[in-house]
Amino acid sequence: MTAVADCALDMRGISKTFPGVKALSNVNFAVRFGTVHAVVGENGAGKSTLMKVLNGSYAPTSGTIRVGGNEVRMRKPADAQALGIRMVHQEINLVPDLTVAENVYLGRMPGKWTWLRKGEMIRKAAAVLKELGAAINPRERLGNLSISQQQLVEIAKAYAAQPRIIVLDEPTSSLSEHETAALFRILRKMRGEGIAIIYISHRLKEVLEIADEVTVLRDGSMIETRPIEGITAAEMIRLMVGREVSNVFPKSQAEIGASVLRVERIGDGASFRDVSFDVRAGEILGLTGLVGAGRTEVARAIFGLSRLVEGSVVVNGRKVVINSPSEAVRAGIAYVPEDRKGDGIVPAMSVRENISLPILRRLARFGRIRRSADRSLSATYVKQFSISPPDGERRINLLSGGNQQKAVIAKWLAAKPAVLILDEPTRGVDVGAKAEIHHIIGQLVADGMAVVMISSELPEILGVCDRVVVMRDGRASTPLTRAELSEERIMALATGEEAA
Amino acid sequence: MTGTTMEISGVNRTDRFTRGSRLVDALSKAGLALAILAVVLYGSFASPAFFTTGNLLNVLTSMSIVGIVVVGMTFVLVAGGLADLSVPATIACGAILSLGLQPMIGPVPAFVLAVALAGLIGLLNGMLVGYAGINPIIATLGVGTIGLGIVQAAVGGVIVYGSNTASAEFAKGRLLGIPVVVLIFLVIALIGHFVLSRSFWGRWTLATGGNYSAAEASAVPVKAVKAGAFVITALASGMSGGLLGLTLQSARPLIGSGYEFSAITAVVVGGVSIIGGFGSVPRAIAGLVFVQLLTNVMVLQGVRTPIQGFVLGILIVGAVGMDAALRKRGVA
Repeated sequence: MTAVADCALDMRGISKTFPGVKALSNVNFAVRFGTVHAVVGENGAGKSTLMKVLNGSYAPTSGTIRVGGNEVRMRKPADAQALGIRMVHQEINLVPDLTVAENVYLGRMPGKWTWLRKGEMIRKAAAVLKELGAAINPRERLGNLSISQQQLVEIAKAYAAQPRIIVLDEPTSSLSEHETAALFRILRKMRGEGIAIIYISHRLKEVLEIADEVTVLRDGSMIETRPIEGITAAEMIRLMVGREVSNVFPKSQAEIGASVLRVERIGDGASFRDVSFDVRAGEILGLTGLVGAGRTEVARAIFGLSRLVEGSVVVNGRKVVINSPSEAVRAGIAYVPEDRKGDGIVPAMSVRENISLPILRRLARFGRIRRSADRSLSATYVKQFSISPPDGERRINLLSGGNQQKAVIAKWLAAKPAVLILDEPTRGVDVGAKAEIHHIIGQLVADGMAVVMISSELPEILGVCDRVVVMRDGRASTPLTRAELSEERIMALATGEEAA
Repeated sequence: MTGTTMEISGVNRTDRFTRGSRLVDALSKAGLALAILAVVLYGSFASPAFFTTGNLLNVLTSMSIVGIVVVGMTFVLVAGGLADLSVPATIACGAILSLGLQPMIGPVPAFVLAVALAGLIGLLNGMLVGYAGINPIIATLGVGTIGLGIVQAAVGGVIVYGSNTASAEFAKGRLLGIPVVVLIFLVIALIGHFVLSRSFWGRWTLATGGNYSAAEASAVPVKAVKAGAFVITALASGMSGGLLGLTLQSARPLIGSGYEFSAITAVVVGGVSIIGGFGSVPRAIAGLVFVQLLTNVMVLQGVRTPIQGFVLGILIVGAVGMDAALRKRGVA
C-alpha cells in the first residue's frame, strides 16, 4: 500500500465479535499523515465500532494496530490519547458551566498539583483558537456559545492536545454551510501541519470536497479504499449498499383498504417540520433515513410523548389532538419504542404484568384486576407469538431481546389499535427472532391493521414495506411505492443527493 | 451494534442475578422474620418487662400510629418518589385541626376535615413532584415547612387541647381487647396492601417506579400516579395525626416531628426499594415491627438515646446498601 514512514495509522485484519454478532470482520484501514481520510457507510456498517477500537474503548477480537509505524495495544481511551489520537464526537462533550479555556484544557490544565495557572491557560487557549481562526473569547462561559461555536471549541480542544490523528464523527451535522466552510479551512490547515484526519460523514458532497481518500464500510467489512479523484457520490452509494440480500422477507399479501392514519404538515418546532404521510389499513409504511433525521421524534409526537406545534393528525377520518399516550391509545394509535430497555419494558415485572399494562383498567372491576383475565391475556400472546420460555410469570428482563420485543408488541395488540407504529422493531435481535417479528407484522396487516415501521436497515425496509417515506434533516420525502424503491434511491434521498 | 452489545451484557448480568436471587430472595423474605424472632427472644430473656401484655400493647399502639404513615410512605417509595418529608406537617395538621375544630363542628366532622386538609398538602406535594418535576426531597421539605408554619400561625404556637370526651374514649378504647387504634391501623394496612398488590392503581404505581419512561409509553398516567402516592401518604399521616391527637387529647405543632424518619426507616428496612418499582405493604410493616421491637428492647435495656439513633442509622444504611447491590445485579 503506502510507505510505512508516512503511515499514521495502519489497522490490519481488525475483527470485533460480540457474542452472537460479528461487528467488524477482517477490516484493513490505513491513513497517511497529512491527509483527510473519509469513512462512509450505512448506519450499522461498523464505523462507530471501528472508531471505538481506534480510541481504545473496545479491544479488537483480532488484528493489529500500528500508530506511526509502531504496533500498539490500547486498553482504554487514555491509552489512545497518550498516542496522540483524539476524537471529536458528534454530540458535544463539554461542560457548559466552565469557560472556553477551561474546556479546552479540561483534564490537562497547566499546574498539576499546584494552584491552577489560570492566566497561562487562557493565553494558550486564546492562541489555539486564533490559530484555528475561531473568533471566540476564551473567558466566555461555554454554555453561552452557539452549538456551532461549541463544536469549534471541541475541535480546538482536540487540536490543543497536539494530536497526530484526529477523528471527526459527523462534525457538520449541526453546522450551517458557512460554518462548514470555516471548518474545512481549519481541517486543511491541520492537514498542512501533517495531522492525519479521519472524517466520518453521511454527507457525501462534503466528503468529495474535503477528503483525499475514502474508505467504504458495509456490514462490518471494509469494501474499498479509493482516492477521492475519480469517484462519484453515486458510486459511493453503490458501494455502501451493494450487498446481496441474504435475508428473505415474507411479504404478506394483505388487502389494502382505506386510510387509517394521516398526518398533515406536522412539526414539533425543533427536530422536524412539514411532515405529511398517510398509512392505510393492511399496509406497512416504512419510515427511514439516517439516524438523527427525525424519524423517532415524529413517532413520539404522534403518540403524545412530545408535543406537536403545527399540523394535524387524522385517525379513521377524524381529526384528533393527542397530548398524552393514553389519548393516543384511545384514538387507536400504539407505539413500540426504539429503546426497548429504556422505554419498552418494566424490567422488574413479569411478562404478564408487562403485557397487560396498557389495558389494565379494562381488566379491572371495581379497581381490582381480574386475575383470570390478566392471566389468560398473557397466555394468549405468549402462545400466539411463541414467546420463549412460554411462561408469563417469568421476569421480562430474563428473556432474550427478541422475546422481550415480542412481549412489547403483544402488549399493544391487546389494546386493539387501528395503527401500530414500530420503531426499529428488530434492532439487536437475532436473525430467527427477526423473522418471527416480521411474520407477526405480516399477520397484523393481514388482519387489517395499519403499520408504520421505522427502520435504518434498508433490506428490511425494502423487503417488508409497501411504501416508504425517507426523512432527512427533519423533512420527509413523498412516499415512494414499491416500484420506485431501491436502496440507491433511498440512500440518495437520505443523504441529500436527491432532493425530496 | 451497540444494541446487541447491551443485549449480551444484559444476559450475563441476569444469569448472575438469577443464581444469586434465589438465595437473596429467600434471605430477604425470611431474614426479616428471623430478625424479628431474634429480637423477641432476646427481649424476653434480657428484660422481664418485655414480654408483658402491657408492654406489648404499648408497642403495638405506638407502632400503629407510625404504621398508618408507613402504609402511605410505601406508595411513595414504590412509585419512585423517594420520600415524603412533609409528614410532620401533615400529622400536626391532622392532630391540631381534629382537636381544635371540635368545639365548632363536632368531633367527627373535625376529624374528617383535618384529614382532608392534610390531603390537600399531599396534593400540593404531588403537583410539585409529579407534574412540575421538582425533586421530591426538596418539594416535600418546602411544602412541609410552609404547612407547619401555617398550622403554627393558626393556633398561635400554643398547645391545643381536646374538648370532646366521647371521641377521646373511643380513640383510647378497646374492641375485643384490642386497642381501637391498632384495629384502624390493621384496616388501613389491609386496604393499602390490596390497592398496591391487586388494583390497577397499584400495578401502575409499581410500573411507574420500575421504569418511568416505559410506563409512560404504555399509556400509564405516570404523573397522576406519582402525585397520587403523595396524596395517599398525606391522607394517611393526617389520619395518623388525628388519632394521635385524640389519644393524647393535646396537640402542639411539633407533635409529628420524627415520624417521617421512623416511617422511612421502617419501609427501607422492610426491603422496599428506595429507587422504586419494588415493594409491598406487608414487607414495610415487617420492617416496622422489627424497628419498633428493637427500639423497645433498647429502651427497656436502658440503651442511651444517641446509641439508639446510631443503631437505627446503621440499619437504614445497611438496607439501602443492600437495595443498591441488588439493583446492580440486575433488577434495574
